[in-house]
Amino acid sequence: MAEVRIEKLRKSFGAVEVLKDIDLTVEDGAFVVLVGPSGCGKSTLLRSIAGLEPVSDGIITIGGRKVNDLAPAQREIAMVFQSYALYPHMDVAANMGFGLRFAGTPKAEIAARVAEAARILQLEPLLKRRPRELSGGQRQRVAIGRAIVRKPQVFLFDEPLSNLDAALRINTRVEIAKLHKLLAATIVYVTHDQVEAMTLADKIVVMNQGRVEQQGKPLELYYRPANLFVAGFIGSPAMNFLPGKVTPGGVDLGADGALALPLPAGAVPGSAVTLGVRPEHMRIAGTADGLRIDATVELVERLGEMGYVHLRLPSGAVAIAEIRGDVGLGTGDRTSVALDPAHLHLFGADGHRIA
Amino acid sequence: MPQGTYLRLLVFFLGPALVLYSVFSIYPLLATILNSLYSHQKDGSFLWNGLGNFHTLLFDPTWSEPFWNALKNNFVFFLIHMLVQNPVGLMLAALLSLPRLRFRATYRTLIFMPTMLSVVVIGFAWQLILSPLWGIAKMFLQTFGLGFLFAPWLGEESSALITVSLISVWQFVGIPMILIYTALLAIPDELIDAATVDGLNQFQAFFWVKLPLIWPTIGLVSVLTFVNNFNAFDLIYAMKGALAGPNFATDIMGTLFYRTFFGNQLQLGDPSMGSTIATMMFLIILIGIMVYLFLVQRRIQRYSF
Ligand SMILES: Nc1ncnc2c1ncn2[C@@H]1O[C@H](COP(=O)(O)OP(=O)(O)OP(=O)(O)O)[C@@H](O)[C@H]1O
Ligand SMILES: [Mg+2]
Repeated sequence: MAEVRIEKLRKSFGAVEVLKDIDLTVEDGAFVVLVGPSGCGKSTLLRSIAGLEPVSDGIITIGGRKVNDLAPAQREIAMVFQSYALYPHMDVAANMGFGLRFAGTPKAEIAARVAEAARILQLEPLLKRRPRELSGGQRQRVAIGRAIVRKPQVFLFDEPLSNLDAALRINTRVEIAKLHKLLAATIVYVTHDQVEAMTLADKIVVMNQGRVEQQGKPLELYYRPANLFVAGFIGSPAMNFLPGKVTPGGVDLGADGALALPLPAGAVPGSAVTLGVRPEHMRIAGTADGLRIDATVELVERLGEMGYVHLRLPSGAVAIAEIRGDVGLGTGDRTSVALDPAHLHLFGADGHRIA
Repeated sequence: MPQGTYLRLLVFFLGPALVLYSVFSIYPLLATILNSLYSHQKDGSFLWNGLGNFHTLLFDPTWSEPFWNALKNNFVFFLIHMLVQNPVGLMLAALLSLPRLRFRATYRTLIFMPTMLSVVVIGFAWQLILSPLWGIAKMFLQTFGLGFLFAPWLGEESSALITVSLISVWQFVGIPMILIYTALLAIPDELIDAATVDGLNQFQAFFWVKLPLIWPTIGLVSVLTFVNNFNAFDLIYAMKGALAGPNFATDIMGTLFYRTFFGNQLQLGDPSMGSTIATMMFLIILIGIMVYLFLVQRRIQRYSF
């Protein structure tokens, strides 16, 4: 396994710059997940690492070796595609061994490696089937098997679970996590799914419009988002944002009231800020808590033990608060919410976190 | 659904097609086969002759010689299409589907253009080009110092059939190209990406991944070629006339049928023998298609992506 290092990577399609100055290190054996809105360049970044897209500028090294000018097969990577991209005219065993055949690997060794991968992925009874005789989940495992037999330095996954149904997705997610441990593999993984990202990743890379907005451990991104974009992107339902102004003793939210809270060093009194608070840190106030905001209930969503209340604040802004158990609220009720002072985020006018 | 309604719907939806198909395809076919069983008399009447016409066609030297000659020529005509038109069409399709090709639409249109031109125009144009007297082919070769290569290709028995076949190939190569090109476009890019990651270069990806996936289309193209070639007539007629000269060197089933049925110069038209030849053409095509269906088609897998 190897480390992947990306420095100052740029990629343009004609006049459109799709990747702008990407710097990224995937440590040896790490599981790095790329997330970001559709069209932000995740697939393009992955394909650049694979060598399927020539890059416009910058350096990519895999295991200390610069691979910019190497063909995909020489980069010692394996890729699992969203559509699986299995060869329809070959059976499962041939699909998995195809790359090795072209690398000139002896037949016996190919058979051994295919058997090994099939054992790991429980594909043994399916080896003689064609892809169309397999279910979606089985195809997915074959695609992963095809990657494993090549014993690559790095695995690249592009939304591998997005074609599976919910139950299978959870199963396969767990399988992939196990596989990562088993193979001690370096993995770069693209997904749309927050849960996948949070559960699988050693490091999450949030991308937006061809740039890396923030990279770090999942909980680091969750508890200390570096900017408004990451704050809004990570977490579901999304973080609530309340515009306000810094005062000497806290933040003035205008019609929603003034909150007295300890300010971080970078907060200059009088400057405009956005106060961010996640739904789980915004509770229906029972007692006389410190940081309260009045609100009107617009909608209550109950998901069982927990649920969400959609609130209209006096300023007209909308916020979502998490509830536990039955709080006995209904549409139109007036209530107030308490903010957890330990989990408030302040962002400056430029969108960056005020530390 | 009540049975009456069902029947009425059936008639409504199937009727028109059935009527058209019967009147313009089934009836002429049956009438031709029936005609081939009678013999046409000088006074214009028809006498029942059973399979006599077929016996005459196959064993009476005045009939069998032109017949076998036309059949042989027709097979040569077909083979040249299979060996030149379809491989070249495949190659052009492969080139057209190269990801970084520029002017793709222009090439596609230019190559497909002759297919849409009238055969008469094509025949005339090529006759002018190849003419030993005023054709540009001779001058063209001479410009490169290759004048000695020139021969009156259309006029010599040894080369006339090949020349006409190649002209037909030139005209129709756009059809296999377009059909195969469409099939190639249907192959998902990710499949080729996967092959690239597996270490295949463009050529290998074509032979090991794309080609196996387009066999069904190539099979279809072959059948179309076979049927078209054995029904061919117009190009030969336009370039060499009904006599398919020189000395019947370019005579194929279509021209033989035409001379026999409608008559030509000293030869009187004979509807019975004409129908016999037409029936033979039908049988040959039928056998060809059955061979394809039972021996080839079954081994070809179709894929959906
Ligand atoms: N071959 C191409 N030619 C031109 N533009 C392209 C090409 N491939 C991608 N793009 C553009 O590059 C941008 C990034 O595309 P990319 O596929 O990397 O997005 P993504 O983050 O993977 O999105 P998604 O989550 O929807 O898969 C998009 O705006 C897309 O339109
Ligand atoms: Mg993508």
